[in-house]
Amino acid sequence: MKVSALQSALLLAVLAFAFAGSTHAEDTVSDVQAKLQYCNVCHGISAQGFLGYYPIPRLAGQQVDYIKNQLQGFAEQKRTNNIMFNVGHVLSPAMIAALATSFHDLNPKPLGGAPKALLAEGKKIYEGGVPGANVAACTSCHGEDAKGNGQFPRLAGQLYAYVSLQLTNWSKERSETLSSVMTPIARGLTDAQIKAVAAYVSYLE
Amino acid sequence: MSVIWSNSLRHLNGRRAGEGTTSLRGIRCRNMTMARQREPRTMPVGVRWVLRTAILALAFAGAAARAEDKFASRGSVQAKLSFCKDCHGTSAQGYAGFFPIPRLAGQQTEYLENQLRAFNEHRRANNIMSGIANTLSPAMISALAAKLRELNPPPVGGAPRRLMAEGKRIFDDGVPEANVAACAACHGPDAPGVREIPRLAGQLFPYVVKELTNWGKERGQNVAKPDTSFIMSPIAHSLTKPQIEAVAAYVSYLK
Repeated sequence: MKVSALQSALLLAVLAFAFAGSTHAEDTVSDVQAKLQYCNVCHGISAQGFLGYYPIPRLAGQQVDYIKNQLQGFAEQKRTNNIMFNVGHVLSPAMIAALATSFHDLNPKPLGGAPKALLAEGKKIYEGGVPGANVAACTSCHGEDAKGNGQFPRLAGQLYAYVSLQLTNWSKERSETLSSVMTPIARGLTDAQIKAVAAYVSYLE
Repeated sequence: MSVIWSNSLRHLNGRRAGEGTTSLRGIRCRNMTMARQREPRTMPVGVRWVLRTAILALAFAGAAARAEDKFASRGSVQAKLSFCKDCHGTSAQGYAGFFPIPRLAGQQTEYLENQLRAFNEHRRANNIMSGIANTLSPAMISALAAKLRELNPPPVGGAPRRLMAEGKRIFDDGVPEANVAACAACHGPDAPGVREIPRLAGQLFPYVVKELTNWGKERGQNVAKPDTSFIMSPIAHSLTKPQIEAVAAYVSYLK
């Protein structure tokens, strides 16, 4: 009795392994399309972002290197987000690269909705920083047009609620190894300044 | 109404409510017979009749004002809400009728309004609700949604509890291998919903199963006028039957 139970268990284990999940061997074009559609459920049909229970960021037009770093960061839990951890840890490097390229090529209009009264102040901070608080001008890394560069993310058209939340909770969510350059900046900005600069970038195209 | 009427009459005739026969006519006849035998009449018949009618009218007017609590005036929001509750439950907690009738209590107002409009415009297919929705003015829709939002009865319950653990896993983490997004991302960690995204907490188990199973057959029926329901299509399509039941069981117990 014991032996046959063990044999059954072994057979079951072998079968389970054989049929386990999706293979990382070769992701076909349709696999990438299916995965993109899955991303779009939360991030928006053109990856423009979506205000779910949580603000879900725009991925359209994002820097390829930045997306790759973030997806890897989620999977390795250097960036703390349970939902994105589950998304990220099943992705092969090839899939990550394919997704990042696809998102980079999208260009929908910004979602909008931020208070326009904050725009003037936001532009001032974006272009000039806050010298008294050791906050560098955002342009220096993110570019004049906020389209980013390499590992520095595009901010143009990013959700107002998302940018505000990220700058407020920077160190709670992101480890030093992932993005240490932003830590003193996020800490140096006041709540009002965060809202202003978030509103400003949210309207940029 | 009849209780107030007969009680008033009994009081006028000097008898305590509950005594004597249940028949109205019986009490009056018996009383008048005994009154003729025991007490001499002090008032003319006509005056007595007018007095009795006036007192009754006053009593009834008072009763009618209080009856607003029990019998809402025709066309009022209260009346319409009672009508909704006939099917959706006395506190809109939902009801497992021949069809599972969903919980409306605590639902997001934007979602409720969108659904009523969708029924009205036949973008969401349901014979019963289409007939109802097209009688509602926009003002009535808003008023009903606001009232329903405030209700908070405990969940109806009844779903298989052994499915809860799996349901929670799917709800919180999604099923990434099957490209199913985590429900929590949009519906919130305890499924309260927000804006146009519906509350799922306490929703009827058989209703959630039915919706997820039949999503494409019931929602977004006007291809020319796509609505927010399209966002759920890939999810409903990708979930397996056991996964649907698990997540439906899980949300049905949330408060």
